[in-house]
Amino acid sequence: VRTFRRGLLVGLLAVLIGLVVRLRGKGEVPPTTGGWRELEGPDFR
Amino acid sequence: VTTVLLVGAGAVGARTARQLVDTPGIDQLLIAARSSERASELAGAIGKDTRAVTLDADVPAEVAAVAIAIPGRAAARFAARALAAGVPAAAVTDDEEGLAGLLALDDRAQKAGVLVAAGCALVPGLGDVLARHAADGLDEADEVHVARVGVAGPECVAALRKARRDRPREWHDGAWLTPRRLGSQLVWFPDPIGARECEVVAPGVELLRESLPEVRHASIRLGEPPLRRARVAALTGRSLDDGWGGARIEVWGWRGRAREAVVYGVIERPEVAAGTVLAVTTARLAGLLPQVTLRGTRGGVRALGSLVDPAPFLAELARRGVKAATFEGVATA
Repeated sequence: VRTFRRGLLVGLLAVLIGLVVRLRGKGEVPPTTGGWRELEGPDFR
Repeated sequence: VTTVLLVGAGAVGARTARQLVDTPGIDQLLIAARSSERASELAGAIGKDTRAVTLDADVPAEVAAVAIAIPGRAAARFAARALAAGVPAAAVTDDEEGLAGLLALDDRAQKAGVLVAAGCALVPGLGDVLARHAADGLDEADEVHVARVGVAGPECVAALRKARRDRPREWHDGAWLTPRRLGSQLVWFPDPIGARECEVVAPGVELLRESLPEVRHASIRLGEPPLRRARVAALTGRSLDDGWGGARIEVWGWRGRAREAVVYGVIERPEVAAGTVLAVTTARLAGLLPQVTLRGTRGGVRALGSLVDPAPFLAELARRGVKAATFEGVATA
């Protein structure tokens, strides 16, 4: 029973740490200058 | 009278059929599919000058070109039948088995002097043409990286999952490498897709290299298939299927003494992009759309990027609503 509880505790801790890392790991999109421009007539020459 | 045979009545087949009947010069469209019921339904829905035929029959003598909108080895088998009849064919197939089967027909196609266009979809296909267009704009191109997200139907999902599971392959310093899984990389697509994690895969990279034989590095990355259940998507942090697909094409090289990158992107429903690319290619192989010029008409199995002149091909796609964009700017972080 003690081993089972320890396993459960370790599993729970792993899930919690995973959640924290996942939430904190979401960074901002790096800033860029410029953007997307549709290809038009002159681009097809 | 110009007659075209379409094989496949799924998501891509339906879009291809619509694009083909809207192409000036195509007088009759024959549709064959693994399910004859679906072929009849599609022929009925398209209407004018369209009829269903059986898949088992030989390619009818009056057919000028065949559009193959089915995946896997079945596509290669049908391309072989078209070759035997001396009829050019274009295939949408993007899975490893199907592409290998098509490329294996190269000798026969060369001997017969018949063109077979392999990989006429978003990637491979439009991605190869855009890569060639980008390379043509540089003095010297030496590196190309193409990425795709989105799927065109359930069979495309299976092919994408298999490609991401299998060993990747890339062209590196003049040799093929099949490294162990390399891990994913964040790739920025035009809005509304934005950033997606993509992994290097094998299918299509041979066609990309054939389209740009001068490059030292070539790779294709695929994003994971989108999810259909909103709750699962929220829990896993993966993207929900909104129907959109995209491609990003990045070509590096030299312009004068400056090192530059040309980046192109496409956002479109994958089945629409694939259907349009397949229809335009097939119509050209049938001798129509003279404005879409070819880079040589010598027979063989060819990648789209080495078969068509990029500029008129892209202009024809844009006229049909499949538009590409270029990224102008640099990351500041």
